[in-house]
Amino acid sequence: MRNDEMTYGEESGSRAHVHSAEGVALPVPTVWPLVLALGVSLVISGMVTHWVISALGVILVGRGAVGWFLEVLPHEHHATVPTVVEVIPVVSTRGIRAHPAVDEKHRKLLPIETFSVWAGVKGGIVGGIAMIVPATGFSLVRFHSLWYAANLLAAGGFVSWAGESNEFLSQFHPLGLLAAFGIHALTSLLVGLLYGAMLPMFPRVPILTAGFIAPFLWTGLLHSALAVISPILNDRIDWPWFVASQIAFGLVCGFVVNLQVKVRTPQFRALPFSVRAGLEGDLQETESEEP
Amino acid sequence: MSTIPAIKGVDETQATQRARTPGGVIHEWLTTVDHKKIGILYITYALIFLVIGGVEATMIRIQLAVPDNHFVSPQVYNRLFTMHGTTMIFFVAMPIVFGFGNYLVPIMIGARDMAFPRLNAFSFWISAFAGVLLYFSYLGASGLYAAGSAPDVGWFAYAPLTAKVFSPGHSTDYWTLAILLSGVGSIGTALNIVTTTLCMRCPGMKLSRMPLLVWIYLVMGGLVFVTISPLTAAQIMLTLDRYLGSHFFDTQAGGSALLWMHFFWIFGHPEVYVLVLPAFAFMNEIVPVFSRKAIFGYPAMVAASVCIGFISLSVWAHHMFTVGMGAAGNTFFVFATMVISVPTGIKIFNWLATMWGGRLIFATPMLFSIAFLFQFLIAGLTGIILAVAPFDWQLHNTYFVVAHFHYVIVGGILFALFAAFYYWYPKIVGRMMSEKIGKWHFWLFVIGFHLTFDFMHIPGLLGMPRQIYTYEADRGWGTLNLIVTIGVLFQAAGVLVFVYNLVRSYYVGKMAGPDPWDAWTLEWSTSSPPPDYNFAVLPTVKSRRPLWDLKHPEDPDSDYEL
Repeated sequence: MRNDEMTYGEESGSRAHVHSAEGVALPVPTVWPLVLALGVSLVISGMVTHWVISALGVILVGRGAVGWFLEVLPHEHHATVPTVVEVIPVVSTRGIRAHPAVDEKHRKLLPIETFSVWAGVKGGIVGGIAMIVPATGFSLVRFHSLWYAANLLAAGGFVSWAGESNEFLSQFHPLGLLAAFGIHALTSLLVGLLYGAMLPMFPRVPILTAGFIAPFLWTGLLHSALAVISPILNDRIDWPWFVASQIAFGLVCGFVVNLQVKVRTPQFRALPFSVRAGLEGDLQETESEEP
Repeated sequence: MSTIPAIKGVDETQATQRARTPGGVIHEWLTTVDHKKIGILYITYALIFLVIGGVEATMIRIQLAVPDNHFVSPQVYNRLFTMHGTTMIFFVAMPIVFGFGNYLVPIMIGARDMAFPRLNAFSFWISAFAGVLLYFSYLGASGLYAAGSAPDVGWFAYAPLTAKVFSPGHSTDYWTLAILLSGVGSIGTALNIVTTTLCMRCPGMKLSRMPLLVWIYLVMGGLVFVTISPLTAAQIMLTLDRYLGSHFFDTQAGGSALLWMHFFWIFGHPEVYVLVLPAFAFMNEIVPVFSRKAIFGYPAMVAASVCIGFISLSVWAHHMFTVGMGAAGNTFFVFATMVISVPTGIKIFNWLATMWGGRLIFATPMLFSIAFLFQFLIAGLTGIILAVAPFDWQLHNTYFVVAHFHYVIVGGILFALFAAFYYWYPKIVGRMMSEKIGKWHFWLFVIGFHLTFDFMHIPGLLGMPRQIYTYEADRGWGTLNLIVTIGVLFQAAGVLVFVYNLVRSYYVGKMAGPDPWDAWTLEWSTSSPPPDYNFAVLPTVKSRRPLWDLKHPEDPDSDYEL
């Protein structure tokens, strides 16, 4: 039976507002909060007017506090307010021109299964590690150094490195490596998290979306914003190598995500029991249904 | 737990009849601890101050309407903008959102009152007396000490202007002490909202089923705890400086004027979110009902609200880019400020997605809500502009900033409040507000708003400083300022129409019944106005839209929610 979605019942646990056969017990009206507030205000006001005002305030604070305490100690004062219950039907005022047939799939939101957000985070971590390979390859090929790409990334965080030469960036700098590690780790994690959050929108082909679509979107975004984020990186970045690194990141990320087990979304609950129990139907077919 | 037989019904319980002598009525309102009455008191009190603050704004705009104007003296002008800002933030916006929270939070979670009803009354009265104290400065500051009148140091009262040597007499003390008192009331109300939400929800109302309005008020309550405290500390330090000769903000004696700025803005910027979060809350309730769809992305909306709460605590120094914080400080606050646009953007997109494909009803609450969406978006975009430190260096303390934050506060918060008035007035009073007059109000206010605040950006871009008393004709700001002032007249007319509608509808408005909007949350399941106890028997809910479930037993939400 559906019609008990909202029922009215007697309150069981509230100390303050007990419902009885005679009515509902509510706190009695009281003037003491007002008196106390006035007293405190007058105490303060005396600082800008006259000490007599403060003295009056002190008296009111004392009286208000005592009055308030007596309201609640040893027992909170209540008054029973009689209730009259009249039940009227709840109806929607809006007419329905055509009532759609309601079946088990009505209002279903798809997908029924997807990857968890953590799948994206794991993908981001492993993809971030994989991305180091083409980035370091770029450093070796162009500058014969293992450290150029790392230092270039780190330079975005060091204002003093803005004018440094390529020779400087090709040398090993512990601080630069540490900064690059921090920036790269954080970015990889966040990109993975973002990817994980977006996965329910396209759960079927993670390798395609992560490996090709996402890198081009990300590269486009960075291309427009890099001049603001890191001018030095913007001046010296090699975009083809960058895109290659992104694709490496995305392919590995998508591969790792694809290895993860899908989880069921809340919509799975709306399926008939027989489908949920695996006795009939198939999820693939259901996924293609329109909501 | 017992269930009454006719469960497809609402409480239609008549409030106890009382003696209605004038004295009895006054006594009833002075001594009430009922959350609904206290909510109404908060709202009424805020409306009175809204009119006062509006009159001050109008006088400011008349003064600036034409070049070389001397409608008021420079001294009076300084007092006007100080009192206008202080009044609108502390004695209009805060009380009005607390008023709606007081009224709605318990009733939307199926409770009979706030957790601490007497504290609730105390919080209201101390806030009310704070407002009285502030305005008594017009009499008291000069009347008893002959050294100035109302506060004149701006609503953010930067040090060292507030030092005794620059601000003799007691005008600044009135400001400090009034803010201090109102802070006590704010903390009390926030404590009540948080405790009520966490401890007094009706059976079945898990956090995941709570109306988004209540979620947001929970976040807002938490923000109030964190932000009012430094403000109160700063007021106490300033009072110690002024009365006992301490040197917290005395730059000549080793104190720091920057310290005040940090204390004030670590309150001041989250305060914007304290005020705008309830505006979001109203949108979350109104937009779905007038789109005839459930809110899109409930979990994302909750997450975004909580994110906004946290991130808003890390953006305060974008008000201070020009003080020389250094590259690291500037960079952090630029990024933190930009990051907050992400959860805010999520909300905007979710409201649009809620409207998308819905059967929109363009009643007055929805009109104000749609205007809110558009205007708040623009306000956010100018906020992003100002978040860029180099841009802010150019525009800091210009009318561009004034236009930006008025776009937030008027275009965002006030429009949402108007929507809330039209939406919940039938519940509070039992009668509908006039739709026809409401549309007059809407269009007058929209036209006035855009005339004023769209055009206000331009003199700011041209270099017109905020708080300027007057300007020379050759600056080229005259026509723009005249348009801005004309817009204020439209807004003033809109407010008068609104007040007329409030009063008129109280007497002759159409009877509302319990659920005039065909809505889905619990406040619409009891009579209008609700009885003292809200619900004769407390409801049990099984989804986020309990009234939808009652109206559509063939297709309840509970089948689709976790």
